[in-house]
Amino acid sequence: MTEPTFDLSLYYPIFLYLLILLGFATTVMILIHVVGPRKKTPVKQMPYESGMDPVGDARQRFDVKFYLIAIMFLVFDVELLFLYPWAVAAYQEGGVPEVLRRPVFWGVLVFIVMLLVAYIYDWRKGVFKWR
Amino acid sequence: MNDLQNALLAGQFRYILPEIVLAVAATGIFIGGTFRSGRYLWSWAALGSLVASLFVLTITAGFVLPSGEAGRTATFSTPLLFDSLANFVRVLAIVAGILLVLFSWNEVPDRHAADYLACLLVIIGGVGLTACANDLVSLYLALELISIPTYILLYLPRHDDAAQEAALKYFLLSIFSSALLLFGFSYLYGLTGTTNIAAILHTLYGQGGGDMPAVAQIALITVVAGLGFRITAAPFHFYAPDVYQGAPTVGAALLASLPKLAGFIALLRVLGFVTPDGVLVPVAGRPHVLPGMALSDQVPILFWFLAAFTMSLGNLLAVLQDNLKRLLAYSSVAHAGYMLVALAAAPYLSERSSGSDGVHALLYYLVAYGVMTIGAFAVIAFLSTPERPVDNVEDLAGLSGSHPYVALMLAVFMFSLIGMPLTAGFTGKFLIFFGAMNVVGEQADLYRWLAVIGMLNAAVGGWYYLRIIAVMYLRTALRPIQGRRNVPGLVTLIVCAVLTIGLSIPPGANVLLDAVKNATGIKSTPSPIAQR
Repeated sequence: MTEPTFDLSLYYPIFLYLLILLGFATTVMILIHVVGPRKKTPVKQMPYESGMDPVGDARQRFDVKFYLIAIMFLVFDVELLFLYPWAVAAYQEGGVPEVLRRPVFWGVLVFIVMLLVAYIYDWRKGVFKWR
Repeated sequence: MNDLQNALLAGQFRYILPEIVLAVAATGIFIGGTFRSGRYLWSWAALGSLVASLFVLTITAGFVLPSGEAGRTATFSTPLLFDSLANFVRVLAIVAGILLVLFSWNEVPDRHAADYLACLLVIIGGVGLTACANDLVSLYLALELISIPTYILLYLPRHDDAAQEAALKYFLLSIFSSALLLFGFSYLYGLTGTTNIAAILHTLYGQGGGDMPAVAQIALITVVAGLGFRITAAPFHFYAPDVYQGAPTVGAALLASLPKLAGFIALLRVLGFVTPDGVLVPVAGRPHVLPGMALSDQVPILFWFLAAFTMSLGNLLAVLQDNLKRLLAYSSVAHAGYMLVALAAAPYLSERSSGSDGVHALLYYLVAYGVMTIGAFAVIAFLSTPERPVDNVEDLAGLSGSHPYVALMLAVFMFSLIGMPLTAGFTGKFLIFFGAMNVVGEQADLYRWLAVIGMLNAAVGGWYYLRIIAVMYLRTALRPIQGRRNVPGLVTLIVCAVLTIGLSIPPGANVLLDAVKNATGIKSTPSPIAQR
């Protein structure tokens, strides 16, 4: 494989993307200030920290619900991370060898099903109920 | 990776069908348990899947393994290897699993039964995969497949302070030992440039034990320390008494049996006591290395001290215990010491065709120990009721009057743990100490001393086991033990008692000894000196 030559003109979609991104962000910020209603209450003025009181002793106990949600997020976050390399290598020349394609495919399916199982388990156990 | 390796890798899946059955069943029970709770339903499901797994294992054991050039490539490249030792341990694990399911039939609360049984199935699958592991990565993953469900299992049935302490203690020390193990594995990889155990052993044996770099000793010590936690070898035993005491009785029985089995098999594999075909080939002009000494020629000395220390400490501290589970915990430490004697003597015994072999003795003792320990814990669980718990030795007073047959079976387990003739514990101890006495050459005196230490320890052990028997038969209870109807628990007891006696006398003893010999005998001891 030869090293691809660097050509700035190839990268113009990224700059376009950056431009749209910045434009969207500034537009939203401006719109909030212009259109949004302003009702200042003490609770609304507080810095947001997932419903915790941000001022006070740091050595207080956290609700275990936060951790459960974080773990669920992590599971699906990592799932995606594992799927990318497989998707790239699965049917590519020099990727997954011919004999191993079927086992690897089923392996990935099992992986996804396991996560689904974990999701159903969490759901049935009431992890998503914010009690 | 060439095409042959890829094809072999793709072909591995059909051999692990028994473990796949267990994993699918465990998943089903996990999910099913959220819809319907009830220990009988899920106990039947777990029992059924274990029997199905055993059935599938008998089929997959008949599948033709790659042989010739393909077999050699498989040995040195695939992550799992399905030799007779692996199948032997897988059968053991599944049978132990069936016993533990019967044991826990009436013990686990309905609410947690499904989760508990699913975790148990995953652990059994993990033990099976540990036995097959031929790669440091798959070995580590299989060992974690045993550890992680154990944390849940220790915590599930009870939520009092003692149970929380037990679960947390086991969790923290277990991850610490896993880290040590991984540290040692990283050195093994650094030494040889591969994670395949067969290839590692081939490289190290080819190197010759004497001129091994000092780094190999670091690998040896960290691997033994990491696995020593699982087999409760002193000084890695500290968690055992507290955890066994705090854990539910079923959990204690599981901890005392399955992780030990897995830990010893992992030691046999990683340190090269048992090597796949084509690994331990003596090369002309190279110094000859004994089996088990791949990493260092200090291996027997290390195990010598570990064995002497472990059995002495376990027995002496067990004498001081009043709590039954603590007593059995120290007893399990002591028995780990006896099994380490077999490992210490194994390298020197493999050279001679004297009829005694350290690895055979170890495997026999693992079976005997598992049967009698599960049996002893099953008695405690069988007799305990919430109104009248059986915690201390004194609580067994008058058992011979209220439950004469249960008392008799507990006496059988205790006699077996002491090592009285006509019990499996005797045959196991005989094989181990006879092996240690059989070592010849420069080390002969050293091993005679080890055997003497072992026998003295067995005598010390007699004190606290006989104390239990004496309390049962000679004392009367203030409040007699009620017990309750618990047919599966009784079945566990009877099976364990029958096996404890049956495995020590013909034909049971011959069946087990033949199985043990088949598991390793043919390939682990090719008698390299005779080949030269």
